[in-house]
Amino acid sequence: MLRCIKAIAFGLVASVGLPNAANADINIGVTLSATGPAASLGIPERNTIELLPTTVAGQKINWIVLDDASDTTKAVTNIRKLIAEDKVDVVVGSTITPNSLAMIDVAADSETPMISMAASARIVDPSNPKTRWVFKTPQNDALMADAIAVHMKANGVKTLGYIGFNDAYGDGWLAEIKRSAQTAGIKVVAEEKYNRSDASVTGQVLKLVAANPDAILIGAAGTPGATPQKELVGRNYKGKIYQTHGVANPDFLRVVGKDGNGTLLPIGPMLVFEQLPDSNPIKKVSAEYITAYEAKYGKGSRTTFGGHAYDAYLLIAQAVPEALKKAKPGTKEFHAALRDALEKSNVIGTHGVFVMGPQEHNGLDNRARVMIKIDNGQWVLAK
Amino acid sequence: MDLSIAALLTQDGITNGAIYALLALALVLVFAVTRIIWVPSGEFVAYGTLTLAGMQLGKPPGTVSLLVGMAIVAGLLEVYVCIRRGEIARAPRRLLLWTGVPCVIAALVWWSAPLNLPFPVQVALTLAAVAALGPLLYRIAYQPIAEASVLVLLIVSVAVHFTLTGLGLWFFGAEGSRTPAFASASFQLGNVNVNVQSLLVVGTSAALIGVLYVFFGRTLYGKALRATAVNRVGARLVGISPSFAGTLTFAVAALMCAFCGVLIGPITTIYYDSGFLVSLKGFVGAIIGGLVSYPLAAAGALLVGLLESFSSFWASAFKEVIVFTLIIPVLLWRSLTTHHHEEDE
Amino acid sequence: MTRSRAAHALLVVALAAAPFIVPQFWITLGNYIGLYSIVTLGLVLLTGVAGQTSFGQAAFVGLGAYTTAYLTTRFGASPWLALAVGMAITLAVALMLGFITLRMKGHYLPLATIAWGMSLYFLFGNLDFLGGHTGMTGIPALNLFGFELRDERRYFYLIWAIALAALWATDNLLDSRPGRAIRALRGSLAMAEAFGVNGARLKIIVFIYAALLACVSGWLYAHLQRFVNPTPFYINQGIEYLFMAVVGGAGNVWGAVIGATVITLLKEMLQDLLPSVLGRSGNFEIVVFGILMIALLQFAREGIGPWLARILPARRPQPVPEAPPLATRERVEMNGPLLDVKRARKQFDGLVAVSDLSFEIRPREILGLIGPNGAGKSTTFALISGALSLSSGEVMFRGEPIGNLEPYEIARRGVGRTFQHVKLIAQMSVLDNVALGAYLRGEAGVIRAALRLDRAEEARTRAAAAHAIACTGLAAHMFDAAGSLPLGKQRIAEIARALAADPVLLLLDEPAAGLRYREKQELAQLLRSLKQQGMTILLVEHDMDFVMGITDRLVVMDFGEKLAEGDPAEIQRNPVVLEAYLGGV
Repeated sequence: MLRCIKAIAFGLVASVGLPNAANADINIGVTLSATGPAASLGIPERNTIELLPTTVAGQKINWIVLDDASDTTKAVTNIRKLIAEDKVDVVVGSTITPNSLAMIDVAADSETPMISMAASARIVDPSNPKTRWVFKTPQNDALMADAIAVHMKANGVKTLGYIGFNDAYGDGWLAEIKRSAQTAGIKVVAEEKYNRSDASVTGQVLKLVAANPDAILIGAAGTPGATPQKELVGRNYKGKIYQTHGVANPDFLRVVGKDGNGTLLPIGPMLVFEQLPDSNPIKKVSAEYITAYEAKYGKGSRTTFGGHAYDAYLLIAQAVPEALKKAKPGTKEFHAALRDALEKSNVIGTHGVFVMGPQEHNGLDNRARVMIKIDNGQWVLAK
Repeated sequence: MDLSIAALLTQDGITNGAIYALLALALVLVFAVTRIIWVPSGEFVAYGTLTLAGMQLGKPPGTVSLLVGMAIVAGLLEVYVCIRRGEIARAPRRLLLWTGVPCVIAALVWWSAPLNLPFPVQVALTLAAVAALGPLLYRIAYQPIAEASVLVLLIVSVAVHFTLTGLGLWFFGAEGSRTPAFASASFQLGNVNVNVQSLLVVGTSAALIGVLYVFFGRTLYGKALRATAVNRVGARLVGISPSFAGTLTFAVAALMCAFCGVLIGPITTIYYDSGFLVSLKGFVGAIIGGLVSYPLAAAGALLVGLLESFSSFWASAFKEVIVFTLIIPVLLWRSLTTHHHEEDE
Repeated sequence: MTRSRAAHALLVVALAAAPFIVPQFWITLGNYIGLYSIVTLGLVLLTGVAGQTSFGQAAFVGLGAYTTAYLTTRFGASPWLALAVGMAITLAVALMLGFITLRMKGHYLPLATIAWGMSLYFLFGNLDFLGGHTGMTGIPALNLFGFELRDERRYFYLIWAIALAALWATDNLLDSRPGRAIRALRGSLAMAEAFGVNGARLKIIVFIYAALLACVSGWLYAHLQRFVNPTPFYINQGIEYLFMAVVGGAGNVWGAVIGATVITLLKEMLQDLLPSVLGRSGNFEIVVFGILMIALLQFAREGIGPWLARILPARRPQPVPEAPPLATRERVEMNGPLLDVKRARKQFDGLVAVSDLSFEIRPREILGLIGPNGAGKSTTFALISGALSLSSGEVMFRGEPIGNLEPYEIARRGVGRTFQHVKLIAQMSVLDNVALGAYLRGEAGVIRAALRLDRAEEARTRAAAAHAIACTGLAAHMFDAAGSLPLGKQRIAEIARALAADPVLLLLDEPAAGLRYREKQELAQLLRSLKQQGMTILLVEHDMDFVMGITDRLVVMDFGEKLAEGDPAEIQRNPVVLEAYLGGV
């Protein structure tokens, strides 16, 4: 609004038709869920954006960060604001799948490239004139679910119970794990849901335990993932417990405490970069990012969500020089050139290696996941 | 479902129901005296748990700065009122009461947080800090519009809820916390494992219901407090200042909520925004009690807890749908069987 | 052209020109403001005017949005067809919910609205065919006369055309026969029902009206976003709509627009302003927003609308023009009693308040019903007017039993009444209050009123009300707010309202209570002149001097029973009566 008022103050003139003087800076708009239910995902992303350099290839970069409060309407308002008021060249966001899905139409209509930090493959697939403009940095749920299923199969798991959030995150995981489990010949014998801030999950856990599956997957993000886990341990559940990569933050370890021991989860390699072989190219990139992040936010503060934001930056940083060759920032041509360059990305990120193409706007493969285990409050690479 | 599962679900339902009941009591208490539907009660629960968790980690919790900030605002308001009424001589005393006392509590918490004092001391300090927020909140947000309609007071409550939730995120972060148990023991009752902490929650609720019931139903002062809600002028005539009644009520209610937070910290994870759903369910109980009856409010809250527990076993995805659909007939029954005076709401 | 019309015209022109002038993002915000205004408008009517607090409007928005999302994406249906289906579904759901929940009184209703709001949200999120929590993509843009409304600037016209139409209709509705009744629902239901308003039915109609507005807003939302998921329809959005209504000023249709505008713009401004003051985005917007709202409501607790209205010059009322009279009741000369109370009895649990009381009222007389405190006068009054039902016995009016009819049924038969505690709608003008008395003489319904097809009838109603006001000598106060009159005048206004109903029998409940000497004299004068014009009056009164002066006959009650009956002179000499009065003191 302030900017609106300024716009009016500087004259209706500009809006009636005189072209804006081309701005030499590159404007990058970010909308993320720093408040609301997805705040634990959005906050490390915002923290990461604050670390990022303000020049790329000699061009000044303005980062404009807005909070969408985990709300789809707000996310759409934000992207419209970023495009209309800030004339951004690329939009990063949002944190969660529904918000990102809601933003696609705006990005496509305005022909602005958008890099989502949400999990669902639906954001970029199938490839069509709308998703042409959309990219995403996190591993698809499917990739991670496959990792779990493969690990389960290798460890003799025949039956699986699922408990997850009663929201888009939990739904996404449920759908993917059912598919992956079927492929691996594992039977899903129980499906339960709970709310992030539920005080008790006793009912669900009793039902899970009664079904007595060989393993249980908890589809949750952040500390709420600890609630069913503690309940399961309290009810003497003896099978294997799997979590998703959503829980990989230090607060989860703090809250789950000793009840977390032995928990398995698939994860982007960055989280345990110290344990990777030196030959892995991801190690160096992750080390750079995590060192910087932990220097500012404290030792052990790393989360994988911050990595998604950093990867978005890496993609942009690689695409900008290409796009600059073709057009000036702030122009339609620049947006198109940036999009084309992003689509040709071949970038080593913190989570994996992005190899994009016209049909592939995520570009991560098996290198983008490792199985880890919680061992005495530490993330340890599982064999 | 066999008997042991039913017993476990019942135990779980009663524990949660007791938590909701504590909130329901606080809501009834506040409404009975001030006509405020106290939406932010849940935030006080969350602040209770998270403040204690912060002290456990040896970090001065954000509650301290909120306490100091509100104390300063309340003190300034009091001084302003004194000056406007030409009673400047009273100003220092008011300032000491409204700014001095909370600041002392805040200083104590801040100073003691890194010392890792014994657990009971930390609990006492947490309760003092969070309970002190209650009267300050009443003084700043509600007292200036104490005569407004119930709807306006409700909307102010919602605004307070927004503010406290936002501050909660800033103070405590997006992630949740648990606190150590008062008693980690458990024992066998038949073939059901009973958790002592749960018993503590249920016992506290039951005791408080008794105390409030007797206080408001049997004692003169309690009845007089209730009368302030109905007739503020009348209350003033018989010597009860509505603002004093409001302040006292908020202190008691805030203390109850903070205590509730300390009690449930060990059995569940509490987040900065946990309060809303918890207080909503407390509100369901309070309404079933017609916003006047403590025992009925507690019974309603217990009903919600049990419904929730059993429906999360039967069909967890539709838990809220089941709970909230099933309370509609209860509400209808209560509405049709209660005498109601037409009032200008 | 009046000044207010000029202001309205200016607003329309400004809105029409906006998409050509203002920056793109203003249009984005304008669209949302329009969408929110439509929902909030329903709440202004439902909560602000009718006094039924609802947290559940967001769920109805969701019904509209999901219906069109589902029909257009799964079956390729036309969005316009989907709108019709959505409204039909909303109507059915609102009818069902309203039927159950609007019976609830006090605080049960708001909670019930929360309950269905929560239920519908989790239902949306867990039904796979509605896309679950993740949501549904690919909702088509609207087409209107071959224009594709994909561009926000074009959509702006559609949203605001609908919003203005809704404002116009709602404003019309409030200024009409059903509108007066709706305004009485809040706090004056018993009074309204005494004048023939079917409160339960009207509440449901208002509820459906608000739900349909929400549904239309949801339909617009779905085709604007071209994506739906459950989050925008959660209970917190329902609270936000209520917030907008209260902040804007819930008593006036413009409050909806003001509230939606202020809240939307404030949030945007905070998002722009705060990061430059306090650093990063996200942490403090909601905190500062909350604090500002608290401050605002302390400053203007009725909301911004009424506060603005005080600043702006008031609209000058137009004199009421003459109009053809409303149909009047057929007045048959009767031989027997007009009202015959036969062994009427009312028992509350163990307590007998009225014990087998019998008396009659003859045409064209003023009958006084007197007795000491607690004698059962008020209960008798309530039995006759239908406010209480008989335990046994019967009350006959013009030879027809009315003992167990609803108050509005009794009113319909020609019994007008006043109230012991004055029940006028304080903010409404005397004219509107009195016009409410003529409720049963008109028939304009909500739709006719909203579309302004009720003007001929309305003119006649207003003329009749003005006539009743003139008769009672209140013409000078016709346009004053009823609450601003002194008590004596308020009691007179109550009589005027009863007269507007064209009654045969007038029941007056302690009309002289609390009046000063002069006022009592004026009242007595009025009652005499009414009698001369052929009115029959039952006067329940406490004040002996007043009663003795004007009644033809008296019935004296004590302990629920008839103590004596006769003309004033007889009663004054009656030893039993003297004993009851003097002995009881």
